[in-house]
Amino acid sequence: MTLLRRWSIWALLAVTLLGTLGPGVFTGDPEAQVAAPFSRPAWTPGGGSPPLTAFLTTEKPAALVSWRWEPPPNVTISGFLRYAGQLERAEILWSTPGGKTFVLASSKDTDTLRVDIDGRDMSFKRSLGLSPFDDAAKALFPEKGTYTIAARPTDGIKEARVTLDIPGKKWGLLGTDQRGRDVFHLFLLGIRVSLLVGITATLLAAVIGLGVGLSAGYAGGLFDALVMRVVDILLSIPTLPILMVLAGLWGKGLWQLVFILGIFSWMGTARTVRALTLSLRETCYVENLRSLGAPTFYILRRHLLPEAFPLLMANVALGVPAAILAEAGLSFLGLSDPRIISWGRMLQEAHGFGAFSTGAWWLILPPGIGIALICLIFLDIGRTLEEMSDPRLKKEMAR
Amino acid sequence: MRSYWLKRVLGALIVLLVVLFLNFFLFRLMPGDVVSTIIDPRFSPEAKAELRKQFGLDSPLYEQFFRYAKAMVTFDFGLSFLSQRPVWEELRSRLPNTVFLLGSAFLLSAILGTWLGIHAARRRGSFLEKIVLLAGSVSFSFPSFFVQLVLLLAFGWALPLFPLRGSVSIPPPEGFAAAFFDYLWHMTLPVFSLVLLGFGSWAIYVRNLMVRTLGSDYILLARAKGLPERRVLWGHAFRTTLPPIVTIFLLALPGVISGAVITERVFSLHGVGTFLLEAILGHDYPAAGAAFFLLALVSIFCNLAADVIYGLVDPRIRVGRSMEE
Amino acid sequence: MRKKLVFFLLLLAAFFATPAFCSPAGFDVESIRGPRIKELYMVIHRDPDSQILALERGKLDVLGDITRPVDVKRLAGNDEIDLSVAQGFHIFFMGFNLRKEPWNSLALRKAVAHAIPRQQIVRDLFSGYSTPISAFLPPASPYFEPDVPSYPYDPDLARSILEEAGWKWDSTGRLVPPGSDRPLVSFRILGPTAQAAPTTMEIARRIADALGKIGLSVELEPLDFSVMIRRLDVHDFDLFVMAWSLSRDPDNLFAFFHSSMDVEGGYNIQGLHDPEVDEVTERLRWAPDKKTAEEAAAKAQRLLSEKLPWIPIYSRYMITAVRKDWKGLVSSEVTTTDNLWTLLSMEPVSGKMRPVFWALSDEPRSLNPLSSSSAYDWQVLGLIYDGLIAVDPYTLEDVPWLATDWKIETVESQGGPKTRLVFTLRKNVKWHDGRPFTAEDVRSTLLFLKENNIPRYYDSVRDIESVERPDDFTVMVTMGKTSYWYLHNIGGTPILPAHILELAEDWKSWQPMRTPHPERQGLTMLVGTGPFVFSEYRPGEYVKLTRNEGFWKLPEDLR
Repeated sequence: MTLLRRWSIWALLAVTLLGTLGPGVFTGDPEAQVAAPFSRPAWTPGGGSPPLTAFLTTEKPAALVSWRWEPPPNVTISGFLRYAGQLERAEILWSTPGGKTFVLASSKDTDTLRVDIDGRDMSFKRSLGLSPFDDAAKALFPEKGTYTIAARPTDGIKEARVTLDIPGKKWGLLGTDQRGRDVFHLFLLGIRVSLLVGITATLLAAVIGLGVGLSAGYAGGLFDALVMRVVDILLSIPTLPILMVLAGLWGKGLWQLVFILGIFSWMGTARTVRALTLSLRETCYVENLRSLGAPTFYILRRHLLPEAFPLLMANVALGVPAAILAEAGLSFLGLSDPRIISWGRMLQEAHGFGAFSTGAWWLILPPGIGIALICLIFLDIGRTLEEMSDPRLKKEMAR
Repeated sequence: MRSYWLKRVLGALIVLLVVLFLNFFLFRLMPGDVVSTIIDPRFSPEAKAELRKQFGLDSPLYEQFFRYAKAMVTFDFGLSFLSQRPVWEELRSRLPNTVFLLGSAFLLSAILGTWLGIHAARRRGSFLEKIVLLAGSVSFSFPSFFVQLVLLLAFGWALPLFPLRGSVSIPPPEGFAAAFFDYLWHMTLPVFSLVLLGFGSWAIYVRNLMVRTLGSDYILLARAKGLPERRVLWGHAFRTTLPPIVTIFLLALPGVISGAVITERVFSLHGVGTFLLEAILGHDYPAAGAAFFLLALVSIFCNLAADVIYGLVDPRIRVGRSMEE
Repeated sequence: MRKKLVFFLLLLAAFFATPAFCSPAGFDVESIRGPRIKELYMVIHRDPDSQILALERGKLDVLGDITRPVDVKRLAGNDEIDLSVAQGFHIFFMGFNLRKEPWNSLALRKAVAHAIPRQQIVRDLFSGYSTPISAFLPPASPYFEPDVPSYPYDPDLARSILEEAGWKWDSTGRLVPPGSDRPLVSFRILGPTAQAAPTTMEIARRIADALGKIGLSVELEPLDFSVMIRRLDVHDFDLFVMAWSLSRDPDNLFAFFHSSMDVEGGYNIQGLHDPEVDEVTERLRWAPDKKTAEEAAAKAQRLLSEKLPWIPIYSRYMITAVRKDWKGLVSSEVTTTDNLWTLLSMEPVSGKMRPVFWALSDEPRSLNPLSSSSAYDWQVLGLIYDGLIAVDPYTLEDVPWLATDWKIETVESQGGPKTRLVFTLRKNVKWHDGRPFTAEDVRSTLLFLKENNIPRYYDSVRDIESVERPDDFTVMVTMGKTSYWYLHNIGGTPILPAHILELAEDWKSWQPMRTPHPERQGLTMLVGTGPFVFSEYRPGEYVKLTRNEGFWKLPEDLR
């Protein structure tokens, strides 16, 4: 079989496996934050600090952090200090190798100091004496060396549980997006959506197209004329705006999208199948069958369908890219279902949240090239199938 | 013969009528209207009612339909709900950009594609053919906005050869020639991106047609007669493939508007695509109705024209088709 | 794109007005003279990427409303650009349908309030450039009441509140209402798609996750913006997330929470019917003076925080960037740099005058002061037309503008007490076409707006009973009822020239920017008293304005 000799069929198999089994490698929620936003892929060169955690405990209410990188992307400090009795003042201090000291958190006249600090909090920046636009993590890590985080006073601590968390600057195979989500995980999940949308929408279109084309071509006459007018109508309405209207009408779900894409892309198939049916209907073979009184359904099923089938498959394969690209286009306009992780949505978010202007290529290239790759695969399969199918058709298809 | 054309025109009219109906009801089926997009605590329900009255949205549906139908038939589309300006004026201010963008991109990609396709077909197995086949698939496979954004960043930002937005420098240059070149400079990137995205499908399509034609008996005959290769290629083969090329050109023409929606968005161009998008999302019935109606007109016209041209060059089709109908 | 479909009536909030708490010592905004710049290009720049790149490249001078944290970070590191941040009038909240079980349960709403991690949402989605709120007025509001019950993030507390109120959980952890043995079904939270609001659905998802932790099953229902509003209008929803952009006056609380506003399309979307809230919001809406208003606003906020008809989530900071080529910028804690005062006083650092390029993030569309209610139209029109009163950028108090002085009185009449506003108008003010500005212009404008029921001004002018002009520079407006807010309704209305209004035959189809002025060459019908004169509009590209050489605030050295 020629098809098995094409690279595309094997690539499709690989992509499908990756899409179905790949996400299983990850245990966590794909929407969960795994590292700092816009972390670069781990394999890229250049300095980047690793994730780091330090604890203040009851036994050891101070911790050392040795730092030999650029300032980290962010810092969070959370937990509490509980003292035996009420204190005039309790603090958590941060000392730099250069001898500067920052008060990270403080409380007055209580026995408990609770902290929930994120380097991005305005109030925290203000307490450090920074402007709202300064980077708190940069201020806390001005140089390389050993830093200390410590509770003050250290005496009388009943319970201490404070965590200092520094996210890494690099992550995984494809880094993270604007929310710190793992791009590789999202990318793998996107395969499923693209394949699902592409294949189901086109199959739906093929089934409608086949039904309409066969019946119109075989029945002919008024019915045929009527059906071809409907095809004309549908072809004369630009697709993208119609998709927008219908998506507004029926909701934003994935299946609605598949349905809409399906019912607006069967016309080409219908025309092709009709043309084929017309030409086959006139062949002596079918004429003979008819004159022998073979039932219509029998002729359709036994003779026309098998003839149309390879062509249909080619049409399906060639239609998949169009459906995938339509989904991406709708997503780019921000009109798709935000609950579904698709490559189109990844690109839309990358664009919407500034990945293009910041040059975060790891957010842009994987979904963009992913879409192109799947489209190429289906184009190649489609062309191969087309060449395998009846060459007589090519002439009819021109119209 | 005449009855065939009559039928075609009649068919087109029926299509137009149905589109007219769909146009009206489709938009009104969507929940909400233009007034319901106003959410401002200082805009009381009473003020909203006034606004609905102003837009004629308080009258019964059949009345609205008659008003709409009249507007479409007389081409007097009234005022847009969103901008309160005549729809025609809005369209007029947007048409030049869209027509230039789509027209030049479509023409350029068709010409480039045809040229490449013919040469690829002539030298089968050559490097050129491989490039054409690859470029055709690749340019068809990338999402258009992806390619356009990458181009914009590459040539508008990283290597600032072209502007980032719009169709005119601000402040605009003085003088006609300067203004013209300024316009060309602004439109280069958008047009180039569309050509890049579009020429591949043309090239492949034309190549396939040409390959078949060049393999046909009469070309073999022409060659056997010793006609010069140029004559065979352009005089015979190309002439035979011209009708399907023109047909597909006309049939693909209306579809390019979908490309305008995204291209105009990426390059911040003031055009019909963005107009369409905003009109639909804003429930701007007069604007959306007019835009869809005009699109349908263009599309039906192109269909008819394709039929005419096909019929003119190849009378067999006409007879064949009229038998089918 | 975000606000494209939203028509804001906030002309004053956007330009004349925005606010502050204390001005730099000894600084009097009234002393600002200008404009000093000669030409102003309002460049239509929709794409955030291209806005930022153009600003860095020097193709834009002023860019307001920067929402993406990456951009803030990027611009903060740019030495050529000056950033300013201000508390905005924005409130993002989650609403309930109080008409339905189980949302009519106060215990459940309180538990929900404790279950939502506002602080984390602000950190993750806005990198801290927003503030979590528990109030029902924006923090920038002069009527903001800080002393209200708040609901810090505490899921354990949320569960114990429910437990105390008799709620239970079934074996799978789903919440069971008191007196029932069946768990709650799944609810849907409505929100707009990314096209209308890029982060809203993401916040909704976080809320849904958080509510899942206290046993409430919530699904997201993304909708096109207009479809969503329609669903809210007809009250077909359980939960929704939405944002308001408010103004300095707190009387919106009446529109949001008074039971009479629970009608189809009314803004009491959640359907709150509460006699106490009704009483206090009525008092607020019809307050005869500022003191009553302040008391009522404070009480209303306390009451609302107890009753929780919404859950306030966050308020966005407004961030503006200006290129450092300019000096004389005016900003405060409640007003970003992109305001009218900046436009009056800004001048090039180098001393060499050049046009200012000001970003307009959407098409101004019609530029018809009568019919347009788009915020982008008003960013332009607000520079052409003046109101009687302006707003101090530091204190958000009223500042004399076309009126030099005003009185607000309550007069007794047969129909009961009424508010009467007496404005003393500024002399020596001229329209762009050279005609003097008089009391007749104010009277004609107000009467024109009222008689034609123009939707945009409908609520501002509908209570006008009479407009009198005892002399050329005094206007007396008598309203049908008493309310302190009439001062801002009338004082904020842009005043149009009487001699041009006469020529506007049909205000709906009036195209002032396309109609040439009958007398003065080069002018259009867009004639105001404002600091800038309309010069050219190129759709999709820019609006060009030039300095009003006869502006009353023009400094001596420029006259």
